[in-house]
Amino acid sequence: MAPGAKGKNSRAYLLNWRKVSGKRLITNDFGYFRFLSEKEFTRLMSGTSNLRPALHQDLSKKGFVRNWMDFDSLSETWRLKNAFLHFGPGLHIFVITLRCNYNCLYCQSGALPERVHKTDMSFETARRAVDIAFQSPAPSITIEFQGGEPLLNWKTLKKTIEYARKKEVSENKELSLALVTNFSLMDAEKAEFLLANEVSLCTSLDGPRKVHDRNRPYSKGSSYDLAVKWIKYFMRRHDTQKGGSRIFKPSALLTVTRFVLRYPEETVDEYVKLGLEDIFVRPMSPIGYAARVWDKIGYNSREFLSFYGKVLEYILKLNEKGVRIREKNASLLLEKILNRRDPGYLDLRYPCGAAVGQIAYNWDGGLYTCDEGRMIAQQGDDVFRIGTVHDEYESIVKSGACRLCALSSNLEQQPVCFRCAYKPYCGVCPVYNHEAQKSVWGNMLSNERCAIFMGIFDLIFKFLQDKKKERILKKWIPEK
Amino acid sequence: MDTGEIKREILVDERLYSRQAVKLAANIYADEMKITLSRSGRFLRIRVSGENESKMGEFLNEALNQQCRLDLHGKNGKVAQIIVTKALLSAMGENVKERLV
Repeated sequence: MAPGAKGKNSRAYLLNWRKVSGKRLITNDFGYFRFLSEKEFTRLMSGTSNLRPALHQDLSKKGFVRNWMDFDSLSETWRLKNAFLHFGPGLHIFVITLRCNYNCLYCQSGALPERVHKTDMSFETARRAVDIAFQSPAPSITIEFQGGEPLLNWKTLKKTIEYARKKEVSENKELSLALVTNFSLMDAEKAEFLLANEVSLCTSLDGPRKVHDRNRPYSKGSSYDLAVKWIKYFMRRHDTQKGGSRIFKPSALLTVTRFVLRYPEETVDEYVKLGLEDIFVRPMSPIGYAARVWDKIGYNSREFLSFYGKVLEYILKLNEKGVRIREKNASLLLEKILNRRDPGYLDLRYPCGAAVGQIAYNWDGGLYTCDEGRMIAQQGDDVFRIGTVHDEYESIVKSGACRLCALSSNLEQQPVCFRCAYKPYCGVCPVYNHEAQKSVWGNMLSNERCAIFMGIFDLIFKFLQDKKKERILKKWIPEK
Repeated sequence: MDTGEIKREILVDERLYSRQAVKLAANIYADEMKITLSRSGRFLRIRVSGENESKMGEFLNEALNQQCRLDLHGKNGKVAQIIVTKALLSAMGENVKERLV
């Protein structure tokens, strides 16, 4: 049907809007967006009969015009965008030990000194944890080993990897294994074992040596040197692999403390220098131990966004020169915004990933909605505990904490989010809200996490109005 | 003896702020101030006492936040419930779904 036939009676269908760089950005629940001039926006909101035919057609196709909804196409788009609603927990985080040989300034995971062996996960506990992970209805699962420093409990780690790989065959379920390590205890033998078992490796890299070493003090030397040495090693192994087991590129995580804020360009340069193609500029949260030292290492949303903006601008400049590097937050959001697909980002979706997308397994067999929920438990608050490795899988998902998180992170019931233009791409964190605002629901008007993501979205949508930047950003995600 | 404690009494119209919303907000701020509620006609009488006056403002903001959330639940509760139920059932797996059907 051509626009115009029903045009007179048409009205805009449920949409949210926001002013971004002089334009009106409109979005809807299907994940579509469009920039409009003030005049176009006014016309749309007062009825669609006065819109240019081409604009009317585009808005109709995207589900913005009430009488012109292609329900089959739109419902399919919504389904793909929210594909995570059809699967169970895919990410299983194993805290193999709480011990750590580093003394990181912010350590949110609540690590304990190297000598405190009582916080090592036993193989029996790990085996039960693997059994639970494999009961998830998700067709593919990832087990991520972390700590503390997981290599300090190598015996359990090794046996668990072997057990999980055997279970993968018997259960016929796709399994990915990942290890988050500071590399300080890595050696050739461990490396060979990990590579042979197709374990992907991730470490921390907080920018230049002076920043990294300050963030992560190590009594036996430079934590920066160790991270760089092994990133190079695994990068070389990746680049020279010849058949056999797949060797994944190593990856690194940036923890932005106050000290990192001063070095936006130098931090990106470090990643480029090592051949890392992604830099994940994640804000720190005042959760667990980090909350106690927040006045020394923390920052507000304005300070973080200033840093983030500089990083993103610099990366785009490098991309123009042909350097391959992406910012991970932005690329995950772009996948949602431009492709309307779920990139598997558990922090930004609704309901959030707590227990329905991920489970954290503590060293003692306690299960939590997520790693942040576990960190809070370590401070004495068990509100996000969903069971133990000895429980039935079904009872874990039925737990009060799981339901509490699913309910409270649903943006359909969040007063500010419900009207926000970024709702189709965003999500709230009940654990953050509980810690920062004393209620799992939170109050978005004074929520710093919300302010940070609003700023990131503003920046991305500002860049998407710039043709040159848009072209570069589109290369960051798979072509649809 | 001056304890530095500040006391305030606020009357709110129950047609705007339900008792439930104020109670939810009071629960969040219970550690930081003493809050008592009583009825006075169609008004709710809120007595707060504590050491930090700005916290009292935050408490009222929270009451408004909770009221908006309750209002939104009335409007969107069904859609929200469908989404949450779908996520929970999917996480439980096919066996549970089949049993429930």
